[in-house]
Order: sequence, then C-alpha cells, then structure tokens
Amino acid sequence: MKTKRQIQKESTKIKISNAAYNVYSEYGFSATTAMIAKEAGVSHGTIFVHFPSVNELLIHLIEIFGNRLALEMHNLSKKNDAIETLLIAYIDVLKKYESFYIRLISERCLLPEDVQMIFVNIQSSIAVHFNEVIVTKIENQMIKNLPVHLLFNTWMGLLHYYLLNKDLFSPEESLLERYDSELITTFLELIKN
Amino acid sequence: MKICIACGMPMLEKSDFAGEDTKKDYCIHCTRPDGSMQSFEEKKAGMIHFIIKTQGFDYKAATKIAESNMKRLPAWKDCFNTEV
Repeated sequence: MKTKRQIQKESTKIKISNAAYNVYSEYGFSATTAMIAKEAGVSHGTIFVHFPSVNELLIHLIEIFGNRLALEMHNLSKKNDAIETLLIAYIDVLKKYESFYIRLISERCLLPEDVQMIFVNIQSSIAVHFNEVIVTKIENQMIKNLPVHLLFNTWMGLLHYYLLNKDLFSPEESLLERYDSELITTFLELIKN
Repeated sequence: MKICIACGMPMLEKSDFAGEDTKKDYCIHCTRPDGSMQSFEEKKAGMIHFIIKTQGFDYKAATKIAESNMKRLPAWKDCFNTEV
C-alpha cells in the first residue's frame, strides 16, 4: 500500500506533466521550466525533484502518449482488425494530445537528439503495427499492391499536412475532431483495390 | 504486463512469449528457431530491416534509430557499454 507521501509525490508529478503538456502545446519547446512551474502551481525547484533535467521531462511526456498509442496499435494489429479500426483508434489517442503532437512534428529537429529518438521510435512502432495489418490486406487483394512504407508514409503525409496547417484548416476547433472521418475515408478509398 | 527485454514489445498473451513460455523475458519475434534469444547483431539487423521496410528510411538513419531503441532495452545495455 502506498504511503500518503508517495501518493502526494505521484500527484505532483502528474500535475507537472499536465502543466508541461499545456505549456509546450501553447508556447512550443522553447518554453521554460519556470513557465511550467507557474502553470503547475509548484516551486521551480519542485520540477527538478521529479525530473532532474528538461530532457527527462520531455522524454516522460513523449513516452506517456507514445506508449498509450503503441499499446493500442499492438492490441488491434494482433486481432488483425480492419485498417479503418486501426486508424480510428490511432486518431482517437492523438486527439487527446493534438496540440502537443503538432509541436512534436513541427519542432522535432529543435529537440535534443535523445528526445527526438524517443519520438522516432514510437513512430517506428506504429509503422510496424500498420505493416502487420496492411500486409494481410495486400495478400487478400483488398488493398493495392504498393510498398508498405509508401502506404504508411502516404497516411502520415496526409495526416501531418493537415495537422501542420491547422491554423488554415481548423483554427477554432480540434483539427482531428473536424477532419478525422474525411481523412480516414479518403485514405482508404485511395488504397483500396 | 511483461515487456520483451530485447525489443520492447508488450507480451499480453501466451502466444507473444518465446515458445509460448510465459516465464521467458523475450518475445516470439526475438527468438531463434532453437528457442534461444537472438544475438545483439541479429536483433539489430532485424530492426534495421523492419524500419526500412515499413518506413522507407535511409540505411544510416534506420541504424541510428535501431541503436537508440536497443540502448533503452535491458537485454542490450551491456553491449553498448562495451561496444559503442
């Protein structure tokens, strides 16, 4: 059983993580830890008790949503579900982190290399699960016989183009809430045999 | 939930484990035909191949990604301390 102190420690860590998501989403990765401390309502030093460096904080944030995404994809690809189911589940997780994800894809090159690699590895894991599902569909002639990396990159290209231009496509509301069905339906229509 | 020490895959069902043995710490994808775990070089080559196949990346970039992934996995920590 956890002690009161442990529970409080975990709660503060969650509070800092949530504040960091908000601050990075709004201001990008040049935002300072002082801004995160203010948002979380904790002292500046408290952040470093939980995350000894900014890199560790960033890695923690990317891993939380990345692991969630990877586990969801893993479960669905094992069932060899429809591609549509996989893409819906994928977008549903992204919806919860939309602003943070846009920062990640637009500012990735500005992040320290070890942090970048965490994100790139998550994308690789998504690609593997996408591949598992798509290969079977190609074998069953349900999908065009195109290289799997191009099918994956076509989907990511479409999705990222809309996300990176959110200010033009959906300035007032969540882009993924507005375009999810249209993007999925169009992509499936393009690749089906 | 167990995570494969060699590739990081979540092992949720019996069929995910090497030889369907839930006591094993590595998954079915990291197993040699004789049931033993793949070597560092075998796993690295496999990961690079998969990254190129599924994402179309350049070989050098794929190698960097595979190595950074392996560095974080328990099975290969010692390999990096001595080899890299």
